[in-house]
Amino acid sequence: MLTAWLYVGIFLVVAVLLPAVAIALAGILAPKKSNPIKTSVYECGIEVVGPARVQIKAQYYIYAMVFLVFDVEMVLLFPWAVAFKQLPLFAVFEGILFLLILLGGLFYAWRKGALEWF
Amino acid sequence: MNPAPFELSMLLAILPEILLVVLAALVLLLNLGVRHRAEGVLGWLTAIGLAVIAVLSAVFARPGDTPQLIFGGMLRLDWVSFSFRLLFLLGAAITVLVSLEHARTITGEYLALLLVSTLGMSLMASSANLIMLYLAIETTSLPLYLLAGYYVENQKSVESGIKYMLYGAVTSAVMLYGFSLLFGLSGTANLAMIPFRLTQTGVSPLLVGGALFLTLVGFGFKVSAAPFHFWAPDVYEGAPTPIAGFLSTASKAAGFAVLVRVLLVTFPQLASFWTLVVAILAALSMIVGNLLALTQRNIKRLLAYSSIAQAGYILVGVAADSPLGVAGMVYYLTSYLVTNLAAFAIVWLVAQQVGSEDLDAFSGLGKRNPAIALAMLISLLSLGGIPPLSGFIGKVLVFAAAVEAGQVALAIIGVLTSVIGLYYYLTVMKILYRPAVDEAPLKPSLSWRTAMLICVVLMLALGVIVAPWYGQSLAAASALF
Amino acid sequence: MSAFQIVFLLIALLTLFSALMVVFARKTIHSAFWLILALFGVAATFATLAASFFVVIQVAVYIGAIAILIIFTVMLTRRSMEESGDQLLPGWGWAALVVLIVFGGLVFMLLQWQGIFQPPQVLTAGGENLENLGMALVMPDRYVIPFEVASVLLVAAMIGAIYVAGDHKKRS
Repeated sequence: MLTAWLYVGIFLVVAVLLPAVAIALAGILAPKKSNPIKTSVYECGIEVVGPARVQIKAQYYIYAMVFLVFDVEMVLLFPWAVAFKQLPLFAVFEGILFLLILLGGLFYAWRKGALEWF
Repeated sequence: MNPAPFELSMLLAILPEILLVVLAALVLLLNLGVRHRAEGVLGWLTAIGLAVIAVLSAVFARPGDTPQLIFGGMLRLDWVSFSFRLLFLLGAAITVLVSLEHARTITGEYLALLLVSTLGMSLMASSANLIMLYLAIETTSLPLYLLAGYYVENQKSVESGIKYMLYGAVTSAVMLYGFSLLFGLSGTANLAMIPFRLTQTGVSPLLVGGALFLTLVGFGFKVSAAPFHFWAPDVYEGAPTPIAGFLSTASKAAGFAVLVRVLLVTFPQLASFWTLVVAILAALSMIVGNLLALTQRNIKRLLAYSSIAQAGYILVGVAADSPLGVAGMVYYLTSYLVTNLAAFAIVWLVAQQVGSEDLDAFSGLGKRNPAIALAMLISLLSLGGIPPLSGFIGKVLVFAAAVEAGQVALAIIGVLTSVIGLYYYLTVMKILYRPAVDEAPLKPSLSWRTAMLICVVLMLALGVIVAPWYGQSLAAASALF
Repeated sequence: MSAFQIVFLLIALLTLFSALMVVFARKTIHSAFWLILALFGVAATFATLAASFFVVIQVAVYIGAIAILIIFTVMLTRRSMEESGDQLLPGWGWAALVVLIVFGGLVFMLLQWQGIFQPPQVLTAGGENLENLGMALVMPDRYVIPFEVASVLLVAAMIGAIYVAGDHKKRS
């Protein structure tokens, strides 16, 4: 089990090193001739308007929050799904009840307009 | 005691909890359906629903002669959970009725969050497993954080919500660390099994004591005992007043329910250690709460410090580590619940009319509405522990328990600080009957008057007819010994 | 010192360092990114304990959802939140003292435990059994009540978040 994670660890180290080495090499080797256009922020080729920091809409937060709730739900339902074949009928209903309560929450979010963009 | 195998009849034992979820869902659904403001109807529905749930739980969710572990040892069906559940339902119903005084400020979300919090408290009082207990505490706290910051447009309310959440998160993290140590050292999450496993594996008492200390931080926060009380005045001041009342009574009662259960069931071997720690907390709370209350000019902050002091008196009962102490604690909490809810309800009414929460806002109340002034007088006297009101009986019981347990010093501190307490309660009373510029009569709504009537009647009844609820409290205490 | 211990120490150092940087970073958004690294370190710790499911949870929920939520929240704030003044509060000395005492107490406490110097036991040979976990969550004799309460708690949190973040001007 641990050796399996070792491979993941090696992979991660390589994944970090590869871009790090590339960027570092570019930094060392590239000639340093700077001008204002070169140092400006690259934004798909168009001239940059305003600062990079903008205030996003509160809608993003609600989206992320609803996503978080269902992410946690996924965590709890995953083992239930794995054990599904061995479960007695009553236990299956327990899982469905769990889903129904959260569906109620989703219904509420929907009716409150939390899923609308404008 | 082993958990009983699952039967469908066990669902009856958690019927109140199921109904609370159903009621919350119903309120939310109706809230979505109702386009125009009809929160008054929703509020009444919630209050009546809570009353029905209380009746049903008194009939169907009664514990048997012996306590029973149900749902694989998650919950314990005994008189402690039974009594506390009734207490929480009563507190929630009164809070809803009081909130209705200004129906436009409350919405379906408000009511639903209040109901979920009540559900969490009810589970807190019956949890017999660390995992269940932690989840119940979070289910109680999270809606309360939101409710404390419910006036999103009001900076003070938001500050109160954030402060409550930050303190709550930190203390519950510390508590959870204690829980995880207990679970790791004993290998079981069952509260009653932990001491046996700990003895079997021969874990050093120092280590167990440390874990106990960490969990006490979380419980100390919940009951707002000194030195974990810093949040209380700021949170109560900013939170919507009925929620402040709910926080200071039902939430505190839930904290005490958990505190005694964990201390008595999980740490019987360390009794000499924790009685000392709890006694120190009690003495500190009584002294700090009462002394700081003296200097307050804002009525909600005054009541907050008074509630810290009251937590100290109740802790005296816990420190006694005896059936009498626990019974006294349950009795005191009941009396304190109705008394403090009444006081906060009056603050809510007056502050909304006058637009200020200063003590001076209360001047002339005796002229404006003598009945309400009398109710305030009664609740302040009950908080001060004057016979024949319920607060007196509560104090007598916990101090008697302290003397019986040989903690005379604690009883003496209690009596002395009660005198200080009486001083600032009397200051408020004096203001009530002072002449004021604005003497327009005060006309509360029907729901508010209903809530006040319940509170005052219970304050008087618990002060005069002691036996029935005292018997109930003793039954609760005997379930833990 | 075995290789395992070295790996553990490296992970612990990484986690602690990024946790410290969360506090010391002057820009909130940098704190959020350091937090991701700290959470990642916790995931790696779970991996060394052979708790694969928790590694996945840690990455999916904490890094995948909570860290993103935090970054969104940082971006919601009106100004780029940057601490330019003194980062220490006036009473920091007292706070440091309390923290030191608590830390010393915890270390002393944990030293009382015999197991602290032993390598961790392998709990389950072939990794943890997810089927057992799934069964335990929904069987009425196991953890079904916490399981259902968790869903109620999640919904309550969602309702609260929608209420708090909702448009209050439209409402009134």
